[in-house]
Amino acid sequence: MTTHELLNSQNHAQLRLLPRRGAEPHFVQIVPSEFVAAAIACPILFSKDPGTGAFYAGVALGLKPGEAALETKEDRGGFEPLSLQRDGFFISGDCIAIDRGNARFSEVEGEPLFDSAQQPSTALRRMQRVLKQLHEGIEQTAALVRDLKELKLIEPIDIALSFDDGERLTLEGLYTVSRDALRDLADVDVLRLFRSGHLQLAYTVAGSLNQLSVLAHLRNRKLAAAR
Amino acid sequence: MVHAVRRIVIVGGGTAGWLTAGVIAARHRSRIPSSFSVTLVESPNTPIIGVGEGTWPTLRTTLSRIGVSETELFRKCDAAFKQGAWFARWTTGAANDGYYHPLMLPQSFSHINLVPHWLARNDGSSFCDAVCPQGKICDDGLAPKTIATAEYEAVANYAYHLDAGKFAPFLQQHCCEKLGVRHVLADVRRVHLNDSGDIRSLETEQAGEIEGDLFVDCTGFKALLIGETLGVPFVDCSDVLFCDTALAVQVPYETEASPIATHTISTAQSAGWIWDIGLPTRRGVGHVFSSRHISVDDAERELRGYIGAAAKDLSVRKIPIRTGHRQIFWKRNCVAIGLSAGFLEPLESSAIVLIEMSAKLVAEQMPVCREVMDVIAARFNNTTEYRWGRIIDFLKLHYALTQRDDSAFWRDNRLPETIPERLQHLMLLWRYQSPWYHDEFDRIEEVFPAASYQYVLYGMGFRTELEPQMVEGSANNAQRAMRENIAHTEKLRAGLPRHRDLIRKIVQHGLQPV
Repeated sequence: MTTHELLNSQNHAQLRLLPRRGAEPHFVQIVPSEFVAAAIACPILFSKDPGTGAFYAGVALGLKPGEAALETKEDRGGFEPLSLQRDGFFISGDCIAIDRGNARFSEVEGEPLFDSAQQPSTALRRMQRVLKQLHEGIEQTAALVRDLKELKLIEPIDIALSFDDGERLTLEGLYTVSRDALRDLADVDVLRLFRSGHLQLAYTVAGSLNQLSVLAHLRNRKLAAAR
Repeated sequence: MVHAVRRIVIVGGGTAGWLTAGVIAARHRSRIPSSFSVTLVESPNTPIIGVGEGTWPTLRTTLSRIGVSETELFRKCDAAFKQGAWFARWTTGAANDGYYHPLMLPQSFSHINLVPHWLARNDGSSFCDAVCPQGKICDDGLAPKTIATAEYEAVANYAYHLDAGKFAPFLQQHCCEKLGVRHVLADVRRVHLNDSGDIRSLETEQAGEIEGDLFVDCTGFKALLIGETLGVPFVDCSDVLFCDTALAVQVPYETEASPIATHTISTAQSAGWIWDIGLPTRRGVGHVFSSRHISVDDAERELRGYIGAAAKDLSVRKIPIRTGHRQIFWKRNCVAIGLSAGFLEPLESSAIVLIEMSAKLVAEQMPVCREVMDVIAARFNNTTEYRWGRIIDFLKLHYALTQRDDSAFWRDNRLPETIPERLQHLMLLWRYQSPWYHDEFDRIEEVFPAASYQYVLYGMGFRTELEPQMVEGSANNAQRAMRENIAHTEKLRAGLPRHRDLIRKIVQHGLQPV
């Protein structure tokens, strides 16, 4: 059950934090500051918020809902998306809110959130940084998407994959950065994109697409092992 | 030396004028302004008539090619989605009599004709529901896409209802700011011809003389160039389509949250029919009728009766209709597009689609020089006359199929001498064979495809005689197609948002370009 509470040292002095639990989602939102680390192992794709239609960036950890191919941090080359790290924590105005119902909160085990002087512990300070980075990342994503859209660099990508067991998967509603459109950019746009840092991000997204075949290969190997 | 065609002069700034300007300028963009110009001359005083707020799905392609944003269309023209038309009381006149003419093609239309299979089933299901999801989507008041669907892309095929009074200025801004169209606000005082009889220039009140190589007459019913100047006669069609007057009114919604119909509602009356078009801001309602069969007062009474209590303080605008078209549409160096070319009752929203098709034809076949213009003109005339003929046939079909006996208007509409010969032949043919794909309507750009004829024919209870053996061969494929339609219908009903909710979201967040 979800029960949101504003985090404070009076009510939550005894609260402790366990590592995140539960299955990895197959698609996780990320922000531009994570792109380079993510691209080591995961395909970065854009998708649309079903409520507003706005683009957001994410990584595919698997190819099918409920089925993550890159299950552990090691599988992902050490990459742990911020939005997984912050599991259970939310920003509420200027404060931090927590989902008290999340299984990672405990009063008996884990790292404390507050020290004996009722000051934020190392674990909580780490979480504050994660939330701040995510918060700033939303605005950075919007700026990146604005640029990519204006230069017509975002293109839809239909991914159809066939597996050794005969299953065919089609992934819809995903977008990437067009390499052709990047190549055709006018010099003045290239310079502007480079200066804003968006050129590197654009190439990182385009290049990370290769990880899709790695994901597919991993899935095939798991299928073979399960037989 | 040849006389190059480089200066296009469009006269008249309504929907026809600005759409034509946009289509031509977008197509010839790379030549503007060095070797090609598009000038639109518009009187600062003439009001725009703003015919028809209904469009066809072709407008999506047209607007996308012109380069306008669909989001802006919704923000600036009070646009709504249109997914077809509901025809009430056209067949028997009974209270529960009605059918949809949706914009989606029947399931697997290019592979299989489902009409014989639906007829053979004879299970009481409507043709529309048996072959396509759109009737149910309209019943539910759902939008044809979601906020995550890109601009101009559809989940279910759609067109728009829009405020024509806002659409022309919207196009004007885009044409002038983005496409390099020159806008001249001036009254045309005289039209000068050269020795051969071509139009040489326009003499204007405020902007001097304007010369051109090709003139487009978008002056509305006035037909200043094609009619008054070049004397092309008007072919009256009121012997086939009787309606000659319209009464129009704008009806406010009860609340800001009232649902918006996502289809045109067309309700047959005693001597005509009432259109009902839902925009986000208001409903546009009007009565189109034959003044030979009903008095204007009685027609207004029927209109107010239809609207109900909300009609109490609303003022009704009377618009005379002249049904018919020019004998030819392109004469010498002048082509007529829009009301100057002709007018037909807005039963199937054919006005704007015909403007788009004509403008596209002119833009694509733009004569390089005067010397080849007559060849292009002959081609344009041939195609355009064919289109008017098919629209007239299609509109008449709605009347010819009626079983209503309650007034002279409906009885007269069935008289064989009022039905064009070609339509009579088709109706005979369809008694034994159903229309499908390219059987009959085989031009590359038909205004109404065979699917439209299927929806109207079998929506209005028409029966095609069948030999049971004829459907056996493809029975499995038909069953599969109809099953797919049921699955598709359920999927769409579960996933599409409410019409007003999506429009609100588009205005707030915008649709993405991809």
